[in-house]
Amino acid sequence: MIRLLRAEVRKLWTIWSTYVVFGIVVLIDLAFGFALGFAPGGRHGGTAGIVPHGSLPWFTNVFSVLDNSRLLALVLGALIITGEYRHKTVTPTFLAEPRRGRVVVSKLGVGFGAGLLLGVLTMVAGLILGFILILVRVHSCVWLGGVSQGMSHAACSARQGLYYSANLHGMWQDWSQIAPGVILGTGLFAIYGIGLGALLKNQIVAIVVGLIFTLVVETIITAIWPVIGEYLPGQAATALEDAARTTFRDNGPLLPWWGGALMLLAYGITLAVVGTLTTLRSDIT
Amino acid sequence: MPTIEARGLTKRFGSHVLAVDHLSFTAIPGGVTGFLGPNGAGKTTTLRMLLGLVTPSSGSVLVDGHSYRDLPNPTKRVGAVLEASGFHPARTARNHLRLTALVAGLPFARVEECLDLVGLMDAADRKVGGFSMGMRQRLELARALLGKPDILVLDEPANGLDPQGIAWLRDFLRFYASESATESEEGRIVIVSSHLLSEAQLIVDDVIVLTSGRLAAQGRLADLLAGTSRSVRVRTPDATRLLQALRAANLPAVERDGYVVSEGATPEQLGPLMVENRIEVHEMASSTESLETLFFSLTGGESAPGQTAAPVGDYRRFVEGPTFSPDPSPVAPSSSEGVQP
Repeated sequence: MIRLLRAEVRKLWTIWSTYVVFGIVVLIDLAFGFALGFAPGGRHGGTAGIVPHGSLPWFTNVFSVLDNSRLLALVLGALIITGEYRHKTVTPTFLAEPRRGRVVVSKLGVGFGAGLLLGVLTMVAGLILGFILILVRVHSCVWLGGVSQGMSHAACSARQGLYYSANLHGMWQDWSQIAPGVILGTGLFAIYGIGLGALLKNQIVAIVVGLIFTLVVETIITAIWPVIGEYLPGQAATALEDAARTTFRDNGPLLPWWGGALMLLAYGITLAVVGTLTTLRSDIT
Repeated sequence: MPTIEARGLTKRFGSHVLAVDHLSFTAIPGGVTGFLGPNGAGKTTTLRMLLGLVTPSSGSVLVDGHSYRDLPNPTKRVGAVLEASGFHPARTARNHLRLTALVAGLPFARVEECLDLVGLMDAADRKVGGFSMGMRQRLELARALLGKPDILVLDEPANGLDPQGIAWLRDFLRFYASESATESEEGRIVIVSSHLLSEAQLIVDDVIVLTSGRLAAQGRLADLLAGTSRSVRVRTPDATRLLQALRAANLPAVERDGYVVSEGATPEQLGPLMVENRIEVHEMASSTESLETLFFSLTGGESAPGQTAAPVGDYRRFVEGPTFSPDPSPVAPSSSEGVQP
């Protein structure tokens, strides 16, 4: 099993598509984060100007987009298994380990690890983003209208030091509230992606079905029947985030975090088991 | 001793296609076994069932008495070179081999040995996407050899290889099959599937012939070829006199395509006869039956179902117009050995 896991890890880092997925995650996080961080107005009654104390809405706003990384984790998971079929590397894989269930189990393990890593990368990007925002925001007291809002240069400068520490503290609070959930969520979503890949086998189909279900079907169901929605993968992942329950977004009813984790894990494992017993048993010709 | 044994092996694809039909055979160690048959005879399907990639509909094929899927570390037991086996185009040759080495628990040094053996050392860090067909075949062979298996299975390995590559492969397989004979007494099993019979004839010692998913013949090639008919053909301006002389000597004789052909006769019989009768000879050739003619006699000159001569006739009719009537009897080619008069 250790041998299989090592081979699966090597499979990931010896092809460029893995790095592309990781790169896209960081780029998207930064792009969305900046867009929300600097957006005039927003879901929390405006993000322009300095919020003097307490939890800072624009951090929660910015951090709230980071959990979208789980969509990329889903894609990565699907790639891990469907890529073998697409490039027919499944032949040497099953020649070396003909017990296909073991191959799937090792892929689930490595996929979970890669998903967690994706989550960590996301949250590190978020942290960097936060620092940049604080620097810019605090200085914007002078640059971006703090002065024109009637504050004197001196008063503004005097309060800058205070803002630094208040902002850092607020950011750290928001970040630590959301980080564990995002990281665990991306890990479990990679397992979910592997399950979809095992069941559907076709790369394009698996990715399209996964994304459309999560982004469209699930959103609609959650909007109409929130009670059903809370048991769906996306909402289950949101439930992992402590912050989701307290600070931002109207998420509707959510399971407890461990319930969300179990639910999400159940989706991934069930799909993987069904896929292993059906699709993956088919002949490799 | 390595063994491969198929018992009543059957594979259906859907409800209509019977790819392999109650096939039973045993592969013998200590030589190269040719797995022969026309396209669609079920060679690839049989080999893939042997390797656990395709599940038989019924029957079994066992490696050392076990199903491939029950072998604890199959890389060390069976090496396989398959058509349409995959490479990730962005992965380097070295990394491709290291994946199998990792799963099989082999040291990476073995990867280097195999790269060297197939002559891919210089290309080891290149991405497989840029490899030629021949290089991919060599890489496949390197992967098959990683575990130093006693059983080597190659499906149409000559495909995509240039003449030098084919010659190299031929020498290599002979070496691999014979190497074991000196190293250990048990010998190795090397199975090579091919539809290129003239090529296979140069490599194989034993043959397993398939037609339409069934076993048509199995045995040593030499035994199968012995006792088959031979013939002599002569080109001469004195055809009429030669025919008379042959009939007088009770030898069969016909005139065909400008040659006098004597089925079942030998040059040793015809030579003195022609000297005696002072018959001028321009060319004399004796043909022993080749694997190809043996093959055609075993398979009744047919290809796989649906791939008989009919489509050719249809095609010609289409090209040459409706007046054309196709020749119903397919010509069985035979290899000829020239004899200087």
